[in-house]
Amino acid sequence: MTCSEVERVLPELLDGASDDAFPPDFDAHVKSCPVCSHLVSDLKLIASEARQLAATEEPAPRVWVRIAAELRAEGLISDSANREPESAPARPIVVPVPVPGSTRWRWRALWLAPVAAAVLAAGAYVISYKRAPQVAQQAATPQVTSPPPVIPAATPPSVPAPAPRQMAEKSAKPSGFNGAGPVEEAAVEPEPSAEDQQFLSVVSTLGPSTRATYENQLKAVNADIRETQAYVDRNPGDADARQHLMDAYQQKALLYQIALDRIQ
Amino acid sequence: MASFRKASVRQAGIQQANIHNTAAVTLILATCLASAAFAESKKEYRFAVGPNAIVSVDTQYGAISVKSGSGGQVIVTATLKSDNVEVDQQQSGNRIEIASHLLQGANEQTGRVDYEVLIPPDATLNLHSSIGPLSVEQLHGDLTMEGTDAAVNISNVENCHIVVRTMRGPITLAGVRNGHVEIATISGDIHLKSVTGPLVLASSGRGKIFYDGDFGAGGDYKFTTHTGDIEALAPADVSAEFRVHSVLGRVHTDFPLLPHHSRYSMKAGSSFVGTAGKAESAVVLRSFSGRIRLKQR
Repeated sequence: MTCSEVERVLPELLDGASDDAFPPDFDAHVKSCPVCSHLVSDLKLIASEARQLAATEEPAPRVWVRIAAELRAEGLISDSANREPESAPARPIVVPVPVPGSTRWRWRALWLAPVAAAVLAAGAYVISYKRAPQVAQQAATPQVTSPPPVIPAATPPSVPAPAPRQMAEKSAKPSGFNGAGPVEEAAVEPEPSAEDQQFLSVVSTLGPSTRATYENQLKAVNADIRETQAYVDRNPGDADARQHLMDAYQQKALLYQIALDRIQ
Repeated sequence: MASFRKASVRQAGIQQANIHNTAAVTLILATCLASAAFAESKKEYRFAVGPNAIVSVDTQYGAISVKSGSGGQVIVTATLKSDNVEVDQQQSGNRIEIASHLLQGANEQTGRVDYEVLIPPDATLNLHSSIGPLSVEQLHGDLTMEGTDAAVNISNVENCHIVVRTMRGPITLAGVRNGHVEIATISGDIHLKSVTGPLVLASSGRGKIFYDGDFGAGGDYKFTTHTGDIEALAPADVSAEFRVHSVLGRVHTDFPLLPHHSRYSMKAGSSFVGTAGKAESAVVLRSFSGRIRLKQR
């Protein structure tokens, strides 16, 4: 028996079906599969709690009718399959604790997709927002577009070039996320945003070491965004830097997407 | 008194021998139990497919190796490291999906499944593994490969669309001809050797990018890093237009490039634009703070 076959017969649990109603290999699969095991125990709990709640205080039937109408209007339930007769006994809505790999877990993790898109959108907004002063600056002082007369225009090999990362840290980095910056800079490391915190809370279910890995990557990507943003703020006319800022946001979106794929 | 000492010494010797025996038996038992728990098994699955089949393999822990096999058949050999993991397999027409299914108590060791897959050369392939490695060779169907820490290796493929994404895993492509290549990694290194095609995009946030090839096929080559260095090695007769820029890093080239008009401002030491040969391909090397070197082979 597979997980999807188990999920298909699970609604029977809510209806209080006896164990005989399930296929013979149902128990064996549930015992061996942690995902289905959690799901079944959750549903059994829901079923038992629901029976108790129904006997105590329950909202008026019109409440459930309204909820059903709202859900149908939002397209969350189909009109024919899930419509209950108005005279049906009220049934409480209980949200089970999602387990990794389950359908509910996937739904819970789906927020990552719009967040990833939002990250990109935020990046695009920030970049376009900065474009106005750049245009003004360009109008005032037209940039030289002709190439230098001598190609290559590289630093002579005999002159040791400064380490690029050091240059970046000196000139642009507002904080020392990657550990290379000064100690006092690390102290001003900003708190993770709400989206980042939610991202980390979801990722942490994959295990502490996985959370640490994603957290480090997230810090690095955020540091890159801040570093580039600081540079763009100082050099609003630098189109290439703006493109790098967009790239940095894309990196963050990629991190979210990779996490989403793993959770699904 | 002497006999008492002798008896004590003998008794101590017997006790020590008993301890050694107990330890040895315990060790043997533990070994037996461990080998039972990590009982490795091998399974083979065969699927008949038509042209342009789609094959997906997804494993949380384990290596996936895919090679070109005979047409019309997909053969999957799975090596399961323990009984704590199963292989789910499903065929819907020309689409085949293989996935590792972790059971209770599975971890990185016991949940590992290594796959060796033979597919028709024209099949579309989707691979995913968190720790990998992922390797593909001698195919000409489209490839999508994703891994968190998985190293990705692609060699001797042609006429295909390649999409690779990793978080930290290094990515190596060698012998890719006429490829439409899109590579993105957050902090992994990217190695490209003899990779040509109409479009070759490689992007790494903190990793480095190495290219060794002729920038052929009149294609667009765009390599981008944030802090990582970029190093490109090309023959003296390369035919390409180069646009190289590092916002905060340094750039360097061995090539005597001809000046070329650019709409971007040039800054000595951190950017250059120029052409070599007939400038059939367009090469853009960009970094925010990494160093960029264009070297002549």
